[in-house]
Amino acid sequence: MILKHFSRVISLLLISLFSTSSFAATDVHGVMCGGEIREADMTVINKYMADNPDVNITMEAVPWGTCQDKVINLAIAGDPVSFSYIGSRTLKGLAENGHIVPVNIPESMTSMYQPGILDTVTHLGQQWGFPHAFSTKALFMNCDILAEAGLACEGPQSWDELYSMAETIQNKTGIAGIGLAGKDFDNTMHQFLNYLYSNGGQVIDPATNDITLNSPNTVETLEFYAKLANVSQEGPLAWERSQLTELFNDKKIAMYINGPWGAGQHGEINQKTVRIPAGPNGSQGTLLITDSVAVFNGTGHEDIAMDVVASLTSGDAQYDLDTSWGLTPIMQYPQIGKVAPYNTDYWMMFIDAIADGGPEPLLVDYKAFQTVMNSMIQGAILGEGDAADLVAEAAEELEEYK
Amino acid sequence: MDKYNLFEKILLYSGILLFMTFILLPFVEMFYASLRPLDHLFRSPYQFFSDDLSFWAYGEMWNTVPMLGRYIFNSFYLASCVTIITILFVIPAAYSYARFNFPGKNSSLYLLLAINMFSGAVLLIPLYKLLRTLGLLNSYQAMIVPGVAFLIPTSIWLLKSYFEKIPIDLEEAAFVDGASRLQILRHIITPLSTPGLIVVSLYIFIGAYAQQFLFAITFNSKKEYMPIPAGLYEFIGYQTIKWNEMMAASLVGIAPVLIIFIFLQKYLVEGLTAGAVKN
Amino acid sequence: MNTRFKSFNSPTVLAYALIAPAAIYILAIVAWPLVETIRLSFTNSSLAGEDYIGLENYEKMLGSKKFNKIVIRTFIWMFLSVSLKLIVGLIGAVLLNAKLPGRGMFRVLIMPPWVVPIAIGMLGWLWLYNGYFGIIAGVGMKTGILDGPFGFLAYKQSAFISTIIADVWVGTPMVTIFFLAAMQGVPKDLYEAAYCDGASRWHRFFKITLPQITPVIITMALLSAIWTFNSFEIIWILTEGGPRGATTTLIIDTYKMALGNYKFGKGAARAVVVMILLTIFAAFYMAILLKINKKVSSG
Repeated sequence: MILKHFSRVISLLLISLFSTSSFAATDVHGVMCGGEIREADMTVINKYMADNPDVNITMEAVPWGTCQDKVINLAIAGDPVSFSYIGSRTLKGLAENGHIVPVNIPESMTSMYQPGILDTVTHLGQQWGFPHAFSTKALFMNCDILAEAGLACEGPQSWDELYSMAETIQNKTGIAGIGLAGKDFDNTMHQFLNYLYSNGGQVIDPATNDITLNSPNTVETLEFYAKLANVSQEGPLAWERSQLTELFNDKKIAMYINGPWGAGQHGEINQKTVRIPAGPNGSQGTLLITDSVAVFNGTGHEDIAMDVVASLTSGDAQYDLDTSWGLTPIMQYPQIGKVAPYNTDYWMMFIDAIADGGPEPLLVDYKAFQTVMNSMIQGAILGEGDAADLVAEAAEELEEYK
Repeated sequence: MDKYNLFEKILLYSGILLFMTFILLPFVEMFYASLRPLDHLFRSPYQFFSDDLSFWAYGEMWNTVPMLGRYIFNSFYLASCVTIITILFVIPAAYSYARFNFPGKNSSLYLLLAINMFSGAVLLIPLYKLLRTLGLLNSYQAMIVPGVAFLIPTSIWLLKSYFEKIPIDLEEAAFVDGASRLQILRHIITPLSTPGLIVVSLYIFIGAYAQQFLFAITFNSKKEYMPIPAGLYEFIGYQTIKWNEMMAASLVGIAPVLIIFIFLQKYLVEGLTAGAVKN
Repeated sequence: MNTRFKSFNSPTVLAYALIAPAAIYILAIVAWPLVETIRLSFTNSSLAGEDYIGLENYEKMLGSKKFNKIVIRTFIWMFLSVSLKLIVGLIGAVLLNAKLPGRGMFRVLIMPPWVVPIAIGMLGWLWLYNGYFGIIAGVGMKTGILDGPFGFLAYKQSAFISTIIADVWVGTPMVTIFFLAAMQGVPKDLYEAAYCDGASRWHRFFKITLPQITPVIITMALLSAIWTFNSFEIIWILTEGGPRGATTTLIIDTYKMALGNYKFGKGAARAVVVMILLTIFAAFYMAILLKINKKVSSG
């Protein structure tokens, strides 16, 4: 009997001991995507904890492919993490539903971003995430194959030129001229958007939230994209971009669109990178895609989280990420005295394109958006309908998801 | 009994060869992918030999994913726990369904099945909330407890069909001789249904192995407890997927289970029931 | 003499007692999530929170023409896949049951598809079906059957068949092993008696083996159908439901339109509809199978 009381008292003491100690500290739980937390990030975290002893930050690395879903599921279940790396395409949906808070990005950072970056995280005039990883696209070419077909290794200046180059390569060497993505996958839509933005087209107007997809520019782009199937690898509907990389490496396609990490993936290929050619009604454009770090609502320490995230996404930490991941620089690093490695011709292709590029469209239901776009693209490639009809149909369906 | 003549032998072996080819073809593709360098993984048209084959990926994978060994152990451990716990619940229940008639027998059987008609993905968030309330998150239990619950229904169905095949006169004879039901269960049913028991245990084990992924990703945040499927995701980078290492890791990861089965399949031999008749 | 002797098959408290542990465990873990899912199906639960909307989810779903197409497609896909699994599984079990040298090794060799994580197996098939890199296309081109690369997943009909074959690949080892175990349980003396009576192999197979393992066949048929219906990863990794919806079964559509977008109300409604469909289907299926069972065991 006494023993029972005794143990009860001990447990009460222990509980109170632990709870008083946790009153003083704020527990911040941050998530980054990948196999492990990068050293540069841990440096920032440790410094922050040293400077703020009453803040305790735990970082968790969640593998790619499951990262985003996990933090969103947690937010829905009422257990949000403090902040997390997340695709910017999710920001609008999360913002509209109150799961994340608008962020205050310090002036020192906003002045350094490349043009157009902030557009990818802006909704209703506010920023909803700290941009953290950025990419643009360019056209990769295999100079050896071009030479074999009797072509100079120069970038095409128009869509017609792109098509005729691909056709020549196909006729003279039997190798597919260009890699075309058509699988029901997110990067099929991205590949298409590269062309769309090079032809003056748009999907949604961020200022008015109107769907602007249904335009002659889009129809023209869709027709061209489908036409490319004549000079592309066989069965485009089974291919997505990372598989096209394998084809390129095996010298079975002469050209394809990829991001800056491409050079490192191509091994011994004699490659050259050029700007995506302009369509009849546009200028050389590209697609701007960012991932951000969002701050979740309901943790009680959103402002502390924002502070931490700001440190993680600026200065040396951000530079380290950009260079180690082989990304298009998200900030204009010359402003803080870092010029290398972006001062080469190769990088110029990706950096120059930024000013002419368009952001990944932000819709509330981005998965449905992707499905609609891919269906439209596949329909055109399969020849299951007139391009104008497909575009109109897609534009109408998108109304529900914006 | 009659032996196979030559024609029958050829027929059988050809059939087996065809069957094996179908089963192992993707693994051939995977195995070769694991032997090639990342910047030239595939060749068109397909080539069995090329001059850059090597086992490099098998070594490198331990560097890319340092905890791989731990993940393999976890998968094994989790699946074993689930199997032992599930089989303990399932044997008596399956026996009851196989032998007895009682009100609610059929409807409860189909109700059990109904549980499996829901894909796990739908129940994920409510399950998360339940496990959170029970305080089971971020532990081995987080993956074991739901795993058992989803494997029990189908396991009962499967084991029941094996129990049904055992001739009822054996049990009745023993019953008349004064044996209690539990004794019958232990001494007669269990030995006679050994092939069935082994197969159902294997089914549970592998089922646990397969389910692990969904539960691990959602209910567990501690890397030390993660099973292989979750670990395999670590070969996926921001824009690159280390296919060769991932394939190597997958092949290595299933090796322990295959080794177990090498031992188990010896029990899938006929003639166990033959001895019982003499009793 | 046992004075408390009861008829061997009469219902007893024991029957319930034996089931109780399993039942309680399941109820504790699964009951609330199931009830919650059914409740969610009457709401518009999503990222935005939830309101009750009654039968609206169901009305929208059942009223759309697309939905009916998807349901039909799902049943066709499932029927083909399950039939193939059962047939190939039965043949496989017969092959592995034969007393031939090496059968131990063969039995182990058919395990991998069952053991390897489905996602990985499907990555294998993805590359296998690749028009340029796959062994199938490679062999086709070398033997002249194909005059160039052919993407099996790039066209509607071939994608449909290809996903079925991949699904059969996943499910066959388990079916084979279960049938094999059942065959091992058939008393040897039955065969010996028939052999002494002069019965041929075919006769022994159809008159002894098949009837004896019928309970297992029936169970496998039903369970296989239910699993196949909800077969997600297989189709998702190979085609994500494409090209243009040709391989979009109910579970793929559910993921695309609901679960993937965190529309839990919609997703829950679909899950309930799937359950109702499967239950009706299972009832018919079982009725037919039991009729076949009666025929086989009395024949």
